[in-house]
Parts: sequence; C-alpha cells; structure tokens
Amino acid sequence: MLNIKELHASIEGKQILKGIDLEVKAGEVHAIMGPNGSGKSTLASVLAGNENYEVTEGEVLFQDEDILELSAEERARMGIFLAFQYPVEIPGVTTTNFLKTALNQIRESRGEKPLDAVNFLKTMKEKMKLVEIDQSLLSRSLNEGFSGGEKKRNEIFQMAMLEPKLSILDETDSGLDIDALRIVANGVNTLKSSENATIVVTHYQRLLEYIVPDFVHVLYNGKIVKSGDKNLALELEEKGYDWIKGEIAEAV
Amino acid sequence: MIKEQSILLDKLKEVFDPQSGIRQEAWKMLLDIGLPTKKSEAYKYTQITNILEKKLNLGLSEENAFNKTSQYETAGSHLVIRNGVVSKEDSKIEDGVVIESKEVTEGKHDPFSLLNTVFSPEEISIRVEKPSSPIFIYHINSIGFSNPRIRVSAGKNQEIDLVEKSFNSEGTFTNSYTSFDLDVNAKVSYSKIQTYDDCFVHETIFAQQKRDSRFTSNIFTFSGTLVRNNITINLDDENCEGHMNGLYLLDSKSHVDNNTSVDHIKPNSYSNELYKGILDEKSTGVFNGKIYVRPDAQKTNAFQSNNNILLSDDATIHTKPQLEIWADDVKCSHGCTSGQLDEDAIFYLRSRGISEKNAKAMILTAFASEAISQVPVQELKDELESLITQKLL
Repeated sequence: MLNIKELHASIEGKQILKGIDLEVKAGEVHAIMGPNGSGKSTLASVLAGNENYEVTEGEVLFQDEDILELSAEERARMGIFLAFQYPVEIPGVTTTNFLKTALNQIRESRGEKPLDAVNFLKTMKEKMKLVEIDQSLLSRSLNEGFSGGEKKRNEIFQMAMLEPKLSILDETDSGLDIDALRIVANGVNTLKSSENATIVVTHYQRLLEYIVPDFVHVLYNGKIVKSGDKNLALELEEKGYDWIKGEIAEAV
Repeated sequence: MIKEQSILLDKLKEVFDPQSGIRQEAWKMLLDIGLPTKKSEAYKYTQITNILEKKLNLGLSEENAFNKTSQYETAGSHLVIRNGVVSKEDSKIEDGVVIESKEVTEGKHDPFSLLNTVFSPEEISIRVEKPSSPIFIYHINSIGFSNPRIRVSAGKNQEIDLVEKSFNSEGTFTNSYTSFDLDVNAKVSYSKIQTYDDCFVHETIFAQQKRDSRFTSNIFTFSGTLVRNNITINLDDENCEGHMNGLYLLDSKSHVDNNTSVDHIKPNSYSNELYKGILDEKSTGVFNGKIYVRPDAQKTNAFQSNNNILLSDDATIHTKPQLEIWADDVKCSHGCTSGQLDEDAIFYLRSRGISEKNAKAMILTAFASEAISQVPVQELKDELESLITQKLL
C-alpha cells in the first residue's frame, strides 16, 4: 500500500529525514518510535503533504502512485489520513459542518454523490459511539476549547468518518490519561481491517499495549535504525533510547 | 486669524449660498472650522478633502445601478429616496409607518454633518404609529453631490428595524446624515450594506438614547473607492444599550474608514462594539473606536474589539482603540488584532480532503459570520451570507 524509498526531507534548510525506507501493506500496523527530534513527526507531516517540508530526495508510492507531487487534499482523497499531534483550533467552524464538507469533497473526487443530511447524521451517530464523543462537542467550533483528550478523540472520530486506507497517528497518546487512551485505542482497533493500514508514531510503548503493532521501527537521527516485531517496543521501554544510540555509536 | 483657503468650500459656495436660518448658521460654522485637512487627526488616513477637491464634479448625472430587482421582495415598507428626496411614486409604505419631508433641523457640528445641514434638500422624518415590519430604504444618488438626511424617531417602547442600501453613480460624492432619537425603552436597529463602485461616500450616523433603550448599528462594506463611516452613539440616560457591529470585506483599491464613538454619559449603561475586517489586494481599512466614560457614568460596561485578516502584502489596516474614562467603577475592555490566515488551520482542513480554496473560504466565512450574527432581518442575513460567499469563494 505504502512504499517509501530513500526519503530525505528538510525544513528551512535543515535536513530532518535522511533516507527512510519503509513498506506498509494492507492489514498491517506499523509503529514508529524514536527519541524527541528523531524525525517522527516530520515523517508523518511529509506523508500528509505539509508544504512546510521540502522533500529533497527519494519517493513515496501510495497504491503504486507517486504522491510527492500531490497536494494534501489530493492525498486525503486517495485515502491518507493524519491524526494530528496538535489538532488545530478553528473558531466558527463546527466539527459537523467541517466533516460534511470534507466527506462530500472526498466523495465528489471519486465521482460519488454528496451524502444527504439524513445519511450523514446517521453515519455520524454510529461513529460517535465508537469514540464515545458527545453530540454537543461536534456542534461546537472545531477543537476550540476542547480538552487534550477531546481533541484526540475528535481526531479518531474524523478518521472513522472519512474511512481512510492509510491512517497515520502522530503521537496520539501524548497528553492522554489512561481512560482516553483506552477509548482512542479501541476506536483505532475497531476501524482496523484487512483493507487498511495504520502507522502509529509514538515516543512511548504505552499506546502499543492497546494498539498492537505487527512491526516496530526505531527512527533515530532521520533514519530507521532498527526494525522488529512488537517485542522491540518492549525492549526499548526497558532499555531506553540510549541503548539504540549506544548501538549506533558502536557500529560507527 | 488667517484661515487656510478651502477650494472645496469656495466651489460649493458658487452653487449654493444660504442667507438665513439653520442652513446659514451651519454654513458659518463650517467656514469657521473648515473641512478636515492633512493635519486633522480624525481624518489622518482618509484624505477626503484633498480627494474631493480634485475629484468632485458638481452637477454630474450618470447612469445608476438601481433597478426593479434592487428591492427586497418581502413585506415591510420600501422607501425610495432620490438624491435625498423621497420618491413617493417608487415607495411603498405600510400603514402605521409615517414618512414626512420636513425642513432641516439642527444636527451635529462636525464638518460633514454641517455640510449636510447646509445642502440637504429635505429632512426625511421616519416614525411609526404601531408595530411595523422592517423598513427598507433605498437611496439613489445620481447627481455629483448629494446630501440625504434622515431622522428616525422611535417613541416610547417602540421597535423599529431599518435596512438601508445605496445606489451611487460613478464619480459621485454622497454625504449622508442619519440620526436616531430613541425614547424610553425604544429598540432600534439600523443595518446597511455598502457595495459602492467608483464613488465617494461620507456617512454620519448619530444616535441619542433615553433610558432603557437599545440601538444597534450593523455596517457591512464590500467595496468603495473611498468610504468613511462616522458613527456616534450618545448614551445619555441610564440602562441604555448601544451596539455597533461592522464587517469590511475589501479588495482592489477600496478604502474604508470606520470611525466610531460611544459616549457613556449616565450610569449603568452597556456598549459593545465588534468590527471585523478581511483585506485583500491593495485595499485599505481604517478603524477608530472611541469610548468615553464620563464622570457620572459609574457602573458602565463597555467592550470593543476589532479583528483583521490581511490576505495580501499590499493590503493595509490602521486600527486604533481610544478609551477615555473619567469614572472609576467601570468595566471596559478593548482589543485589536491583525494577522494573516493561519497556515496550520488551512493545512488541517486540507488534510481532510478540503480544497485549499474551500479551506480558506471556510475559515474566513467563520471569521466574518460573527459580525453578521446580530442582524435582525432574515432577508438581509441571507443576502449578506451570499455576498460573503461570493466574495470569498
């Protein structure tokens, strides 16, 4: 589904990603872990099409199509979804209105008719249960005045509504208490299928107790330095990132 | 004392030189204080005298955009005013609404109000005798220099909603004066859409309020070569409410100056002002908001905010709040912001499949809609929403 080859990216002239190779197949869950500043969030942003980052080398194929020249909205319409680490507050735009616009623009791009009000509300009600989100929250301005947990639940709610093929969760666990973490993870797990894939970007192993990855990759200094199964996350938790740094130092 | 020669006043004197009465007194006062110059603080960013000296073309008569479809298709009174004179044959006034053409009475003493007093053809008096539907006012200003003058009187406990639009011919200068007298517990709203083409406009709006009354002005400007709105609200009694809402959504070389003032004279009154601006291309916006709280006006609540989004590097906003407070037991706040569109917000929306154009329009529409939320007349609200969408999409 996703094939990243030799990806290099920079922001304001500073090189952040220094050659990422990663393959994600349908039905898989990949975790990307790494210390602060290793480039995890940059990778997530580059995949979603954030124009603040410049791709200097490499390619990203999504369903065999090179997406690097595509805009953020075109990628979203193909089925890429980024759950933001810091969801943006947008005063005056309600979540409901926003999602309706988003969903219908996606449908339009696929040559489908816009969802009518009744069906939209029906779908919304179903998905709301999934992340235990309240109607009143969705009638309010998008993310404005939401608690950390509400914002993250809203991200997963949007994911549920848009039904992406590839979901990238950027530090979705940060700022969540254990109950919110459980709700968010439960939402993600329910949405998981053999047709879609998930990339979980996280600093800690904690989230991976709830969303169990098929593969774990360690990102350090802009490169994937180690890959393994879920046990790698446990090992990291136990030994800390200094262990990886040490291994790399030895190798050099 | 040697005065600066005013080319403009000399030019006007040739056309009309009042010999007696209120007009002559106003004329004397005007000659005495003169029109604003480059040094006038209140017109610092809007060199209206200078521009009029060059551009004013007296007697010019041009095609006008007003036509049959210009009027709202709705119940209520429809008042058509041509160059400041009521056009009875075009108007349709409901029973209980009284429109009269009267001799001009004394007005404010600032230069453009005086100018209107001197040159206005008649004072159009509007009052109601029973509860009425909204009153829609259409101005057709097709001569080079017109001075429409309206005086709205709201009696005790009366409610009046007015919606106004002007159709000004190209190259004209319109200097309008609209005053409001609100008796005890009267509620008046005055909403105006300004979509001016290539013409010059100076509007004075002046409200005087008695106890328990509420006045709301809603001014929405979408275009204009030079537009200056002077709004003054005098809260001259206790427990009054004064609201001023405004939106300016500008592009090309439009220049729009909103100069507002609310005067808290007596205790226990409330004022709230919200102006929002979106400026694109080479447009210029000016906002000046004065709040006076006089020594007697204890327990005053006065709030003001002016927020601007600049969409182009060539757009300009000058914004200045001005609070003068002599009472000590008051709650006042003011805030001005100007900035660009939030790139993170745009990316957030785009990452959900919304096009860049739509994402921007969504954010801007949401920003603008706060300023139209208090419009009491549905037809106007609908029109504003479509004007905003047209402009932003």
